[in-house]
Amino acid sequence: MRYLAFCLLAVVSLVSCSKDDPTAGKLTLAFTNKVGSQPLVLETGQYTNAAGEAFTVSTLNYFISNIRLKKDDGSTVSFPGQYFLIRQADSLSRKAIVEQVPFGSYSSVTFTIGVDSARSVSPVSERKGVLDEASYGDDSMYWAWNTGYVFLKLEGTSPVVDLNSAGQRKYMYHIGGFGGMTGTTANNLRQVTLPLAKAATVTASATPSVGITADLQKLFNGKTLLKLKDLSTIHSPAAGTVVADNFPSMFSVQ
Amino acid sequence: MRRIAILLGLMVAACGPRKERFVTPQGFPQPVYAFDRNPLTREGITLGRRLFYDKTLSKDGTISCASCHVQSAGFAQPGQPVSVGIFHRKGNRNVPALQNLAWSTSFFLDGGVYDLDLVPIAPIRESAEMDENLKNILAKLRRQEDYPLLFQQAYGTEEITGERFLKALSQFMLTLVSADSRYDRKELSFEEKAGEKLFGQHCSACHSGPLFTDGSFRNIGLPAGEDPGRYRISEVEKDRNAFRVPSLRNVAVTAPYMHDGRFGTLEEVVGFYAGGRGQGAEGKIRMSEREQRQVVAFLRALTDHAFLRNPRFAPPR
Repeated sequence: MRYLAFCLLAVVSLVSCSKDDPTAGKLTLAFTNKVGSQPLVLETGQYTNAAGEAFTVSTLNYFISNIRLKKDDGSTVSFPGQYFLIRQADSLSRKAIVEQVPFGSYSSVTFTIGVDSARSVSPVSERKGVLDEASYGDDSMYWAWNTGYVFLKLEGTSPVVDLNSAGQRKYMYHIGGFGGMTGTTANNLRQVTLPLAKAATVTASATPSVGITADLQKLFNGKTLLKLKDLSTIHSPAAGTVVADNFPSMFSVQ
Repeated sequence: MRRIAILLGLMVAACGPRKERFVTPQGFPQPVYAFDRNPLTREGITLGRRLFYDKTLSKDGTISCASCHVQSAGFAQPGQPVSVGIFHRKGNRNVPALQNLAWSTSFFLDGGVYDLDLVPIAPIRESAEMDENLKNILAKLRRQEDYPLLFQQAYGTEEITGERFLKALSQFMLTLVSADSRYDRKELSFEEKAGEKLFGQHCSACHSGPLFTDGSFRNIGLPAGEDPGRYRISEVEKDRNAFRVPSLRNVAVTAPYMHDGRFGTLEEVVGFYAGGRGQGAEGKIRMSEREQRQVVAFLRALTDHAFLRNPRFAPPR
C-alpha cells in the first residue's frame, strides 16, 4: 500500500524550477598559457626552461576551483560549487565563466589550483561536469588507483629525459594529492590571490573578462628550480609537492 | 475495474524500479556501504549483473569483469598468480575475491579506493586489465539495442551516465553476500573444530570477526618484491610491502594466494606461517604438521557452496 501511495505521489509530483538571481551576473576568467614570453603551442612549440633544458608540451590541463572575489568594499563572495578544467587543447575550456556573481565591482580574485578535499572524496552523484570521470576519455584527470583528482597534468618531451620503453623521451607531471582519505598524505592544493589591474564591474549587461596568464616557465622555476633531467615522472602525491609549491608563482593577471 | 487496472499500471510505470531489500546475515555488523545513496532495486541489480558480464567494458571487447572474477572461484581468477587482462597482459597482483563488499571500507590490495562506486574505474582504466575509459564504454552502451531500455527500467529514463553505470555495478556486487558455509551452519567436524581453535589462537587477530578480516594492511614477512603495497597509497615507510588482510571466506577456491599469487595451495600458505617465516599480528607462529592440517581443514569449511552456485550471480541469460 505504501508502495502504491509512493507511486501516486510520483505521478502527481511536479518539477519545480529555480529562477536565476536577478541581482547577479557573470564574470569570465580567461586563461592564457604561456612559456615565458612565448605562446604555448602543443606538440610543435620549442621551449627552454630556466635550467637550460629544451622541452615540448603535449598536454597541459589544470583544475581551477573555490573561486573567491573581493569587492571594492573589502567583502568577499565565494563560488564553492563551480569547478573549471582548463585544457590547452580546448580553447573553450580556457574561458572559465563564473556564474551567479552578485552585481558589483571586484578588485581581486582568489582560486585554488586543484579540487578541494571535500569534493575529492564526494560520492559519484556529486561528480558532475568537469569532475565526471566519464567526461575525460583518454586524457583523464582522475587517479583511479588512488582515489583523487590530478590537479595539474603537464606532459611533453625533452632531450634530457631517458628513453622510455616506447622509445620516447617523455616527461609526465601528474600533480595531485588532497591530503588523504584516511591518514595524512601529501596535500598539494595551492591557492593564489591576484589583485586585478583594474576593477571588474559585473552588471546586468556587463560580463567583465579578467585575463590570467599561467606561465610554465614559472612552474619550472618558482619556489624551487626544477630540472627535467632529475625529475621527469611524477605520479604520486608526495613526489608532486615540489611542483605544487611552484603553482602560485605561475599565475598572474594580465 | 479496467480503469483501476490501467491506473495501477500507470502508477507502477511512473514509479519504476522495485526496491530490493539488503539482508544482513545474522552475526554480521551493519554494512558500511551508503545504501541511502544507491538503494538496491531489482532492475538496478539486473543491469549491474548484465554489465559485470559484458565484454564491451574492455577496449577490444574480449574481457568482462567476470573474466577475472569467476563465480565458481569465489569471484577470484582461478589458477592465475596475477591478473590477466586484454591481449593476455599480465597485471601486478593476484585478483581479489569479491564478496561481502558492503562491509569493506577500502578496496584493492593497497586500499587505494574507499568507495565501491569508484572501484570499477580502476580495472577499466588499467592498461594491463581492460585498458578502456568510461567515456568510450558509455558511448558503446548507447549504441547497443537493449541498454537504453535496461537503464530506463533501472532509473526511469534511458539516459546512460557514468554515475548510473557505476551504481548499477555496485548494486550487483553488493548482492554478492557469502555467509552460508558449514562454519556458519555450525556443522564442523572434530578436525575442523580443532582447526577453528588454532585459528582463534594464531590467525583471528587479523582475520577477525564474521568477515574474517579486520580491513587493515600488514606486512606478513614475505620477501619484499617490487610491489610497495600500501606504501603506494600512504607513502609512509611503515606501510612498505603491507597489503590488505583478505577475508578468508571461500578461500579454498581462490587459489593461488598472496598479493603475487606465489602460493598454490592452502597447505603452502599455512606452512609459510607455521614454519616461523610468516609474521602474524602476534609475531612468529609455530604449529605442528597435524595442527597445520587442522587449520587447513577449518579454512576449507569456510567455503559457501550455495554462494558459488547461486544462479542470481551467474552470467545473465
